[in-house]
Amino acid sequence: MSYYFAIIGTQDNPLFEYEFGTAKQGGDGIARFPEQARHMNQFIVHSSLDIVEEVQWGHGQMYLKCIDRFYNNYVSCWMTGGNVKFLLLHAPSQPASSTTTRASTSIAANPTSPQTEEAIKQFFTEVYENWVKTIMNPFYQVNMPVRSPVFRSRVAAAGKKYL
Amino acid sequence: MTPPKNDPPFEPPEPSRTPSGRLPKTRLSTDTQSIASSTSTLPYRNTNASVSSLFASTSTPTGSRSSSPSGTSRKISSSVFGGTPGEGNRLTPSDRAEDPRNLILHSFVAHIAVHTSIDTKELVKDKGFDGGLWELLRPFGERIQGRVTIRDSVGAGKTWDDFAVRFVQLGDGLEPPGAVLGSRRNREEKVLPGNANKTIPDSLAAQRSRTGGDISHIENLVDRHLTHAEQYPTMDGEDYLNFKDVKPGNADTTSPFYTLYLRRLLSGLPLVPHETFSHPVACIIAISSRNTSPIETLRKLYDESSHGDKRLPLWVNNDYLRYYVLVHDEERDDITKSMALFEQMKRHFGLHCHLLRLRSSQCIASDDDSVQIPRPEWLAAPEEISEIHRRESQEDIEDSYPCLYESDTTAIKTFIREMVTQSVVPSMERNVATWNDQIASRRRGMAGRLLKISKWTGFGSSSRSSSSNGMGGSNNNYDALQGFYRPDAPEALMRKLADYAFMLRDWKLAQSTYDLLRSDFNNDKAWKYHAAANEMAAISTLLIPQAINSKTRAETVDQMLETASYSYITRCGSSYGALRALALGMELLRLRGGSATDDAARWGIRLLDQKLVGVVGDALIKERISACYASKVGSGSGKWGARIRKSALWRVLAADAWLTLGKPQQAKLCLDDADAKYGELAWKDGLQSWENAGAFLAGLRNEVPVLPDEIEEENSTLSPQLEFE
Repeated sequence: MSYYFAIIGTQDNPLFEYEFGTAKQGGDGIARFPEQARHMNQFIVHSSLDIVEEVQWGHGQMYLKCIDRFYNNYVSCWMTGGNVKFLLLHAPSQPASSTTTRASTSIAANPTSPQTEEAIKQFFTEVYENWVKTIMNPFYQVNMPVRSPVFRSRVAAAGKKYL
Repeated sequence: MTPPKNDPPFEPPEPSRTPSGRLPKTRLSTDTQSIASSTSTLPYRNTNASVSSLFASTSTPTGSRSSSPSGTSRKISSSVFGGTPGEGNRLTPSDRAEDPRNLILHSFVAHIAVHTSIDTKELVKDKGFDGGLWELLRPFGERIQGRVTIRDSVGAGKTWDDFAVRFVQLGDGLEPPGAVLGSRRNREEKVLPGNANKTIPDSLAAQRSRTGGDISHIENLVDRHLTHAEQYPTMDGEDYLNFKDVKPGNADTTSPFYTLYLRRLLSGLPLVPHETFSHPVACIIAISSRNTSPIETLRKLYDESSHGDKRLPLWVNNDYLRYYVLVHDEERDDITKSMALFEQMKRHFGLHCHLLRLRSSQCIASDDDSVQIPRPEWLAAPEEISEIHRRESQEDIEDSYPCLYESDTTAIKTFIREMVTQSVVPSMERNVATWNDQIASRRRGMAGRLLKISKWTGFGSSSRSSSSNGMGGSNNNYDALQGFYRPDAPEALMRKLADYAFMLRDWKLAQSTYDLLRSDFNNDKAWKYHAAANEMAAISTLLIPQAINSKTRAETVDQMLETASYSYITRCGSSYGALRALALGMELLRLRGGSATDDAARWGIRLLDQKLVGVVGDALIKERISACYASKVGSGSGKWGARIRKSALWRVLAADAWLTLGKPQQAKLCLDDADAKYGELAWKDGLQSWENAGAFLAGLRNEVPVLPDEIEEENSTLSPQLEFE
């Protein structure tokens, strides 16, 4: 399972992007997106904003769960208080059939299962905490890309921990 | 739902497509793989006027191209932005030719077989129609003059302006048995019609070419049209420019190529057991005044059609109407004699007779009262391809489409109108009423339900207990070995009832009957029947002009389409059926607006996912998905709930696909559209701030041609407010 995590500002602009792979079940934490995914991921996430803008008014939660799907890519969303969106695109590397016995309950094989939802929620929560701390930086202004290596490493850690 | 293994996750890979990282570099032209360049059977020859007129369906803009989408509505159901759910789902009347409802209405029409004596054939041949009487009648059947009133099952009359019938030669649409499965399952194995001509006689080849239902032929044909459009981009470009600048938000006007694709998909419906649309509703039995022994010939023709060598296969209900026509030769024969003969015919055969008076000499365009006969629109794809070939190999420059004397056209129109309104439609109505009364309502009532329950719970050898063979069972009418129901079985009659009701545009009755049949066919494990019934149930449900809320839709329409596509693909290997079901479902859902458009797009994506279409279809469907998303109208100033970004994304994907196919003109249209859509967003340069995506888009831009006048435009108008509005 490969993940592409993006934080999107209020003007549809990316503030932070990070690609990683699963660290569970012997995963090495490296994203395995094909070459064309470099732009496609961005397109997909950008187009999912359409759905976010519709779903975000539906209920009061910050975690909007899995909101969109593009072929085999699933997009989960977390709305922050400041209309900045966290979007996580997760692409199961293989359809479940090849590794049914072991992977049947794993996060990687079931992108929409409750376990996956929960894991992503924990991931988002942790990233959100760090995000708030990061943007408290007095030099940070709205819609400015976040380049902090500390933040990046914390996102990586959260990804490793939960996904 | 699960996509096939080992796919690159983004696109269902087209065969032998090179994975090229698209960065701002120009695409090599060797990369293009249009069908025309790969098949040696389609050499590009000189184009003359008579050829280019064949491409008129896609190269000239229909006036309706500029009209607004008719089906979209202001409301979003089941969304936070919508009003009450379902309110917006009402359908508006369709008046455009390429409206999918019109396409459906005109494709699933009553088929009338034509069976003529040799002398009639000669008479018509003298007039310049080699194919015989059906070829002469065919263009006129596509639009019957005047209005036709049809009474539905409750007796309420409804008048239609655009009723149509299809004239076929008796036996058309019959694919050679055995080739059926192979040709659909495996495109590579399919013999191209050019090669097939050598082994089979000409008449048979021509007849076979009138059978549609093969996706690869449709792809070939549309590719041919596309190539033509690419060759004459100036003309095309102008048309598009003239008709495009209506409003950027209106971009879901149908591409003419997609309309063509759908039309060819629905033309030449093959004669198959599991649906009866192409089974003849009536048969014209014609003799001419040149015949020396008219009554005997008529009898002979009748016998041929009912048990002679022209007899349709066993699964075709042979109980259709016979209509007797005497073609009178105005120039060579005596009308009084013909009248006397006609009187005699009337005495013999009752009311279903007509005296058609034609002039036997060939009409040429320079004659006084010559009328060019309309070009038939519902040619099957192979037929149109061979037509294009024929025209290309001819040397004459002018458009030599056959003409008719005006008196002849009037006579033919009157004849068709009389036949349809006085014989065909009434007999269909009568059949519908009878079958509905005797078979369907019995099933709908209490007893029918009991019968069904007893079938389920398994007394004796019910379908549940006899799991594998499905052969035995006294109440099982399905012949699993040969794969059809006998035409007099209740299931077959009900299918015919439903199809008749559909052809007579009584969708409520059709829908309820298809719905009954779904479970029957499922119990009998008649999978092809099952798939077809599900398909038509979904289509007729969507055609009923009545709001469906999203929940009901998910339970009925989605379920039916799902079952239909699964049955067609997995159980029957018929990708043609699945493509037809899903494409029509997608179009009809799109028209409903609101949340149905999301479903429509989903089915479109499913079509791509299942790889039902070839490369041309792939690009067209991508465009279509974009149009589906575009049909969803947002509410308020922020257009909340709209799918602009999604729609733009699919346009970009379509542009990419077009470029891969080597169709830069099409790609350019898509890109322009995508740009317009991105320009509609609140944050116009939102996408540009994404590094790779922006670069990809710019890379695509670099590859499409720029018209010279556009460069000027760009130079002169740099003011931002003119950008996309």
